[in-house]
Amino acid sequence: MTDLSNRKWYTGMLTQEDWWAVWLGLGFFFISLLNIWGIDLVGWVTYPTKWVFHVPEGGKGAISHAFYALGKKYSLTAKGFYSKLGWWSVIWTYVIFGIATTIGAICMKWDIKRFVAGWTIIYFLTIATWFVGHHAFFAATKVNWHKYGLNFALSLGGGASFILALIVGLIIGNFFKGFANYLSEAAKPEWYIKTAIVYLGAKLGYLPIKLSGFSQKLGKVATKLTFELFIAGAAATVVAYMIFWPGIYVIARKIFKLPRKTAAVLGSGISICGVSAAVATGGAVRARPVVSIMVSALVVVWAVIELIILPGFFTHIWPGTKDPLVAGAAMGMSVKTDGADAAAGELLDIFLRNKVQVETNGQVVWPEGIITASAVMTKIWIDVFIGIWAFILAMVWVYKVERRPGEYVPPSEVWHRFPKFVIGYFVAWLVLLAIFFGPGHKGAPEGMALLKSVKAGVVPVEKGMRKLFFMLTFMSLGIITDFRKLKECQFGKMVWVYFVGLFLFIIPVAIIVAYIFHHGMQLPNIAQYVQ
Amino acid sequence: MNEKEKEKSNAGTLSIDAMDAQDVLEDAEPWEPIETKLVLWSFAVAIIALIIGLWLVPTSILH
Repeated sequence: MTDLSNRKWYTGMLTQEDWWAVWLGLGFFFISLLNIWGIDLVGWVTYPTKWVFHVPEGGKGAISHAFYALGKKYSLTAKGFYSKLGWWSVIWTYVIFGIATTIGAICMKWDIKRFVAGWTIIYFLTIATWFVGHHAFFAATKVNWHKYGLNFALSLGGGASFILALIVGLIIGNFFKGFANYLSEAAKPEWYIKTAIVYLGAKLGYLPIKLSGFSQKLGKVATKLTFELFIAGAAATVVAYMIFWPGIYVIARKIFKLPRKTAAVLGSGISICGVSAAVATGGAVRARPVVSIMVSALVVVWAVIELIILPGFFTHIWPGTKDPLVAGAAMGMSVKTDGADAAAGELLDIFLRNKVQVETNGQVVWPEGIITASAVMTKIWIDVFIGIWAFILAMVWVYKVERRPGEYVPPSEVWHRFPKFVIGYFVAWLVLLAIFFGPGHKGAPEGMALLKSVKAGVVPVEKGMRKLFFMLTFMSLGIITDFRKLKECQFGKMVWVYFVGLFLFIIPVAIIVAYIFHHGMQLPNIAQYVQ
Repeated sequence: MNEKEKEKSNAGTLSIDAMDAQDVLEDAEPWEPIETKLVLWSFAVAIIALIIGLWLVPTSILH
């Protein structure tokens, strides 16, 4: 915190993961908008579809069509070309994202040989698990079993792929340590998820466009809902954080008798915002680096445990399909890392949509992505809040707790702590909203031609790229997670603080706060349009 | 670890000394009034934010 004089506002734009999430995210997003002028440069993005070994007569699910380029379905100007790609779209996606991520890795001064090798292995492992996870036995929902010749399936939707990717990653991370270390240069869950979150911004902006394709009224409903999530998420975040942090601080200090700085870093790490908060707070209160490292390790491992437990809990125990956005917002405030939170939100989205479809026998169908957005929205506000809180703590520590005379904390610290990928998220969202409300005429007939061309570009981004990066996140998260760390390190006490703090304090408070601000928010039913 | 070494590891560079985890978990300082203030102010901000949020946010249970 002392020598910040050399840092400019643009410092790190080419060297930080955060910024590279913005470049990767917004780069492809703006390229996708070239569709407005009839140029489709994103239709190559690969996407899986459900498959079976033996396709029933009149059914579907041929392995030869298990991967296709999204342009085949959505492109307005290059459908013929993208239709021919089929499985080759996997290679196209590998090469194009391989080049893009390698440029990022070069700028961030990573070991390029190891990155390219690691990226290659992680990418193809991800594709393999994506493929397996889309076998109809895992993915087909009940209403579609007959199309694949099945009498029973697990009905997990795309969630099966995420779980499989996590399991494969965890097996590598825990049983093949040498291999995991080799892959670590490209196993970057925070980078991948931040990029996916920028694409999620595009998804959020695209929702009104998509729903206005069904009816103009639905488009307006989606716009209103996303704004409500934005405001409710902000309020819930401030309230929750200001309860979480002092609560955990008191638990760590009074019950577990930890030193002040360790308790402060733990407070931020466990409270809500994970690794970046632990690092930011560690810097703010000048804790020794090992404290931030220990807390970060705990955050990552516990986030994976939450990722495994919470989507199922919120789906099947409480609140279920009655209050899906309470579940999403509570998830966002409970799961610590951006990666695990967005991933858990995505799982919750799939589980709850499948559940409501099964419960109502297909009479209720919710649009994809809104529950994920509710989980990510609270998390994003929290990420924004990290910088402000680190700044406040730095001032309290410098001027009050340790009383360092003559020391000065510059306000620019807030900007340096600000999570930059959030800019990408909001830009993608707001650009699409501007198109919807401006030349798109809020989904009125005179704007539909333009909105259709926007859709042709944005779908490969918000659907294909977003899910690919979610998959990469799950795989990478598993690879870097080592459950033995909890045993080996000398922080048994911190493990207990984390356990007590998380399950007996954070999660219950998160649920209450999410309920206060999100109770009763309803998702639009698109069943009549889908069928 | 003596004070000088501690100060060195505070500078941010990781070293073997810096990785010694024992002394960051032990020797808790006594609770001071400033900590009480910090905790109480945080809770107070939460309550104020809750009241304002309940009033302003259209999806809150108050509406």
